[in-house]
Amino acid sequence: MNIETMERPMQIAEAVKAKVSIENLAFYYGDSKALKNINLTLYDRKVTAFIGPSGCGKSTLLRVLNRIYEMYPRQRAEGKVMVDGADILDPGQDLNMLRAKIGMVFQKPTPFPMSIYENIAFGVRLYERLSKEEMDERVESALRKAALWEEVKDKLSSTGLGLSGGQQQRLCIARTIAVRPEIILLDEPCSALDPISTAKIEELIDELKEEYTIVIVTHNMQQAARTSDYTAFMYLGELIEFGDTKRMFTHPEKQQTQDYITGRFG
Amino acid sequence: MTFAAALTVLLLLGGVIVALLEGSWPAFAKFGFGFLVTESWNPVTEQFGALSPIAGTLITSFIAMLIGVPISIGIAIFLTEICPIWLRRPIGIAIELLAGIPSIIYGIWGLFVFAPVMQRHVQPFLINAFSGVPVLENLFAGPPYGIGILTASLILAIMVLPFITAVTRDVFETVPPVLKEAAYGLGCTKWEVIRNVMLPYTRVGVVGGVMLGLGRALGETMAVTFVIGNAHKIHASVLGPGTTISATIANEFTEAVGDIYTASLVALGLILFVITFIVLAAARLMLLRMNVKGA
Repeated sequence: MNIETMERPMQIAEAVKAKVSIENLAFYYGDSKALKNINLTLYDRKVTAFIGPSGCGKSTLLRVLNRIYEMYPRQRAEGKVMVDGADILDPGQDLNMLRAKIGMVFQKPTPFPMSIYENIAFGVRLYERLSKEEMDERVESALRKAALWEEVKDKLSSTGLGLSGGQQQRLCIARTIAVRPEIILLDEPCSALDPISTAKIEELIDELKEEYTIVIVTHNMQQAARTSDYTAFMYLGELIEFGDTKRMFTHPEKQQTQDYITGRFG
Repeated sequence: MTFAAALTVLLLLGGVIVALLEGSWPAFAKFGFGFLVTESWNPVTEQFGALSPIAGTLITSFIAMLIGVPISIGIAIFLTEICPIWLRRPIGIAIELLAGIPSIIYGIWGLFVFAPVMQRHVQPFLINAFSGVPVLENLFAGPPYGIGILTASLILAIMVLPFITAVTRDVFETVPPVLKEAAYGLGCTKWEVIRNVMLPYTRVGVVGGVMLGLGRALGETMAVTFVIGNAHKIHASVLGPGTTISATIANEFTEAVGDIYTASLVALGLILFVITFIVLAAARLMLLRMNVKGA
């Protein structure tokens, strides 16, 4: 047993490469501290799930990674978030480029008030100047990757708002990957969806991790177990435990983790 | 009971239309269609034509919207997106107060404060700046009277500004934060979010606000009467004096002697009613088209 726990970090270090390392991160909403001393590594082309009860700070942590919290005054982060060796919390960091590299999908589907085609082309156009053919290709490949192409290929010029909730969410995923990010942040992407749409999105996550580093915040423990390679359990703004998903769900090291995943609280 | 109350609205509207039609009948019977396209307005010979007030109404409202709409939307964007929170309330309240100022005050201010400034500084500047430029030269020509079409338009622009600002600000605030987050999360700059996400999302409300302002501009009476010059003449220059439908009615109703004179003024009222109706209908149609295109 002892040897096993010693060995695992070694295996991880050999098999995978770190993409993001969060060092001594603290986060404040005004005067209240929402994250305390978070240290965490996210691995390249793996799915990491953040789990924990409501208000534990998992969404907050996600929102630090693309600095979307900066839209709101009085929210601030302290510490370091190294992405490929550079600290993204550096005030000199170009936010637009950061967000091109780190895409985000939200809890509720957020299609823009424009056509399905434009929903995807819009984001691409922010960074790249493509010819009509190249853009058509990019839109198609993004929709194919998001498993939406077959359903919308005949109505690309109609509004994205007319799609079903699950389709809208896949459209948002397509929009995110069309920009060719390296990391995708998913903030409870299935919480507003029916089981069939949820299954489709989980399948999608499985395919996307071939190319992207994925972080998913979820309330659904089964979803975390199904989709992720690593799991981070958070409670009251602290990272309680982090590790291989299988191990976390079978042999959690901390009592709190055990209690949460077995449903004793949360 | 409530049905009856709702019916009352229709009855009132019908009553107004019938009264206007009846009152204006002698004028239309005498001048026919020519009433709409004749410029001369001569109480002495009892020859009346509505072209000048119609043109004045449309031109002043057009210029007022041209100036007022971009500024109003700009203020609304500033208030919802850029303004520091502590400054939002004071500016918001100031705009609401601006909306509450009675139009007679705007009229007095326009005549005694604004018109002299126009006469001394703005109009000479415009005349000099555009002299020699084709088309524009004619648009800004003639002696600087101070009062006139342009002055009235500017006063109208100031008057519609708080209305359009208040409405557009309210609709901008209905944009879900998560939609903005999604756009920022894609790497949009503030302006890209405003232009590509906020404005399309709120276009129906924004058009509504603009129409509310336009309705006010078309019908505004007192302030315009003070500063427009009240001349039944159409000038090529916007610096020249003119009149609007409501200004004409307000000015001349008390001194209208004879049936034809009175009937002509009532006919002007009917025309204003029709213009307002057309504007509202056009707005509806525009919204309908935008929705079809967007849907």
